[in-house]
Amino acid sequence: METINYLIDGFGVALAPHNLMFALIGAFLGTLIGALPGLGPANGVAILIPLAFTLGLRPETALIMLTAVYAGAMYGGRISSILLNIPGDEPAMMTCLDGYPMAKQGRAAEALVISAVASFMGSLIATIGLILLAPLLADFALTFGPAEYFALFVLAFATLGGITGKNPVKTILAASIGLIIATVGIDISTGTQRFTFGVLKLYEGVDFIIAIVGLFAISELLFFIEERAGAGREAIKVNKLKLSWKDIVHVLPTTLRGSVLGFVAGVLPGAGASLGSFIAYTLEKKVLGKKGRFGEGDPRGVAAPESGNNGASSGALVPMLTLGVPGSGTTAVLLAMLISFNITPGPLMFTQNADIVWGVIAALLIGNFLLLLLNIPLIGIFVRLLSVPPMYLLPMVTMIAFVGIYAISHSTFDLYFMIAFGIGGYLLRKLEIPLVPVILGLLLGPEMEKNLRHAMQLSNGDWTVLWGSGLAIGLWAVAILGLVLPVFVGPMLRRRMKAGVQSD
Amino acid sequence: MILNDRIFGLLMLVLAVAYGWGAQQFPEPFGGVEAVGPETFPTILSVVLALSSLYLIVKPDPDNAWPMRRTALEMLIAVLVLIGYTLLLEPLGFIASTTLAVGTLCWRMGARPVHAYPIALAGGVVVFVLFNFVLELALPLGLLSFLEAL
Repeated sequence: METINYLIDGFGVALAPHNLMFALIGAFLGTLIGALPGLGPANGVAILIPLAFTLGLRPETALIMLTAVYAGAMYGGRISSILLNIPGDEPAMMTCLDGYPMAKQGRAAEALVISAVASFMGSLIATIGLILLAPLLADFALTFGPAEYFALFVLAFATLGGITGKNPVKTILAASIGLIIATVGIDISTGTQRFTFGVLKLYEGVDFIIAIVGLFAISELLFFIEERAGAGREAIKVNKLKLSWKDIVHVLPTTLRGSVLGFVAGVLPGAGASLGSFIAYTLEKKVLGKKGRFGEGDPRGVAAPESGNNGASSGALVPMLTLGVPGSGTTAVLLAMLISFNITPGPLMFTQNADIVWGVIAALLIGNFLLLLLNIPLIGIFVRLLSVPPMYLLPMVTMIAFVGIYAISHSTFDLYFMIAFGIGGYLLRKLEIPLVPVILGLLLGPEMEKNLRHAMQLSNGDWTVLWGSGLAIGLWAVAILGLVLPVFVGPMLRRRMKAGVQSD
Repeated sequence: MILNDRIFGLLMLVLAVAYGWGAQQFPEPFGGVEAVGPETFPTILSVVLALSSLYLIVKPDPDNAWPMRRTALEMLIAVLVLIGYTLLLEPLGFIASTTLAVGTLCWRMGARPVHAYPIALAGGVVVFVLFNFVLELALPLGLLSFLEAL
């Protein structure tokens, strides 16, 4: 009952006219970001953070806008999958399998509408799941002490590579680089200067927003130049829509199964949206067996992965909001925004900043309806924007990144820093070292050290306290599993995902 | 010969040692030694980084090819353009520096210069107007600062 009251208050926040306007802007920008190849959701949200920040938006408004961007990007990713056969991001990969064949057969409009409906259902069901599950998890998380939190952070890093991750050692390496950068600056509790080299700008530490924008946006520009993909690809023309209610009802069971599976995959550490859409697609293939024509343009092959990946993306908000531990790149970027507004994510947020949390959850529901409305009649606009070649798009995005970072502090020093992070990000990606753990390390570093310190103070310097409770041991065990499992299961799963794509 | 991961691992190992050594040099904090001082967390991190970079040196992944000749040159140009953009942002002002930087990037990425520079100028003007007048965040005027007097 309590939850319903909170949710009603949340709707009060989300339905305030200016919040609603920013939700609409966010949903539109998000779809655009998702649809444009070369501008993934994490990248897009990262570029918009400094803007939301410099606009002086209130925290709830900024968060509502960026959650709408996040939800929108997941919707948009399918457009380039279907029309160009280029997934906007990794989870949209499975949508190419049946979406592109449908488009080639002149059924692009149907594929777009069915995927929009599937995305809507996936988000809706997962948001309801979020509403039910998040308060329970937050209550449970209140029992965590500093030692448990320390173990939880380790778990977050360990499972970040995901079950499909390639080399767990590279994840650890990346995480420690991020954590090391986070220690630069004045130590909060002792006042000791650490690795500042007497540079005044470094006293406050490295601003993670600059790091994130550099790592994502600037490195993406360099990648495009390297691949000489400036001209872009020809999109398939969209036909006139011939879709009846019966067609939508036909894919409904698929959508429901996909949504639930996606949500579960989103909540669990180490699974994420890619696995969500993969499981939804393969399971659907198994359930339907010979009745489906998967890989040849079966509408259900579009609905399953889309509902799965949107379900997972809303599910991924559960650990981010309740524990302060994001499971994916984009939720890590959303966490960055919370921290920059001085809101500590985690169980306390549900009591101390209830208006923000529930406002965001309500905004997710409203944003979802807005997105469905935006995506069906306005699909033509997004399709036209897809034909903007990257050679114009990426320089413009770079300009926006420059403006955003410059507007925060009006200092060109920050811009040099951003360029340096961009070059670093390019080198890391070239070496196949994932960037998300670096960012998560930057974000969680201070909290992790603080919890370690508190745990030690409580135990008078006894290190065994870190695995002193059953809960802590459980968390450590999952963390170790998260590192060991990919070594054994990873190659097999990756092979299957690849086989699925190639048999198309 | 697999080199990328080995060289990177070696660099990270050097960083880990330097970082760990640096952490031991912190002055003792005011109020005496505690179980977790300013150096504890960095020390743990340096050990983790050192171990994982050692692993990378011993068991490197296959190399990705690095860009050669023209592509490498284009990427170098792009980085130089970004640095130039930052250098010129305040002296030349937002609109002029954006036209130069974004235009050059579009051109180098394959657009024709007659299209690239006007589009960059248009983008710069739109963003400038949006920021200065709608969002009320001042971007540098630079060359156009005589307009301020009007």
